[in-house]
Amino acid sequence: MIGVGYRREMRDWDMSAVNADFFEVVPENWLRRDRAPLHDLCASGRPVFLHSVSLNLGGQSVINEAFLRDIRALLDELGSPHYSDHLASSGDAHQLYDLFPIPLTMAEVVRVSDRIRRAQDILGRRMAVENATWYTNCGNMTETEFISRVAERADCQILLDLNNIVVNHKNHGLSTLKEFVTELDMSRVSYLHVAGHEFNDQLGMYIDTHSQPVETLTAQMAHELSAKHGLNVLLEWDNDVPELDVINQELACLQPSMTT
Amino acid sequence: MSAAFYDYVRGLTDEVPDGYTLQGMRVYRYLVYLGASQMVEACHPQLREQLGEDVWRLLIEDFIRQSAWNSNYYGDLENEFRDYLVRTTAAETV
Repeated sequence: MIGVGYRREMRDWDMSAVNADFFEVVPENWLRRDRAPLHDLCASGRPVFLHSVSLNLGGQSVINEAFLRDIRALLDELGSPHYSDHLASSGDAHQLYDLFPIPLTMAEVVRVSDRIRRAQDILGRRMAVENATWYTNCGNMTETEFISRVAERADCQILLDLNNIVVNHKNHGLSTLKEFVTELDMSRVSYLHVAGHEFNDQLGMYIDTHSQPVETLTAQMAHELSAKHGLNVLLEWDNDVPELDVINQELACLQPSMTT
Repeated sequence: MSAAFYDYVRGLTDEVPDGYTLQGMRVYRYLVYLGASQMVEACHPQLREQLGEDVWRLLIEDFIRQSAWNSNYYGDLENEFRDYLVRTTAAETV
């Protein structure tokens, strides 16, 4: 299946005209709002996956039980088959509403996987953690080793974001997309994220903006992994959301029948 | 993650924490600024217009420096900003 992130800009769209098989939403944007649009998507036979941004799995804050119980209720309400957040921090003991790197060390593997286990206990199900974009980080492990060990120890899934791998490769010259996916246990991958990114001249780095079309090599890898492992692919376009026909064009490029 | 990392991100220090790059740390500080600025502007568009770019930047930077936000909801930044204004106004009148 090919899906797309459902964003605020799409609220006035005729969603039956969006050629997606499923949708993904940020639950933090819906827990305190009228969820009729999400129920409409579910009623159209297209599931809604939940992808959080604020669990702060890598941070120092206490795991928020009340919030996770609300997430659990929302998963049940929508019949969502997937829940995820980022393998990152969203602050220290507080929130800063962005995603920050977790040092790639064994001590952090233990600490963070314990936090994921705690979250899964409250959720009453397994969740997935997404490999994140990072702009500077420290530690003595490779990113794939770190992710693999966290996933094994927490017994969680991995939401594999192909765009984040590409951004990290461009910024740091580390693993290529092919090297990265070769090093991961694909049986743990829940589904794939693809997106576009931009170079910021002022900052001198590629930024994970989700505001551009998916690069050809990223789309090709999504095709390959989807065909080989039966994985769903989700298009993220969060900023400067284009018109419906552009989204449909991007979704068409991600369909298994398309070769790019 | 060291406290020094978040001190840099909040603008409490310009000292780059050990093991991290200046270039990357500047990205994180910029992204947090952007997130806070966009949310506050969305709720107070007239305030930004009245203050002008330089004063606005100083205001948001100070708001971030003092931050101890707890909510899982980004939209609650608006409440934090109101509380911040009350705190800073009260401090100035003492």
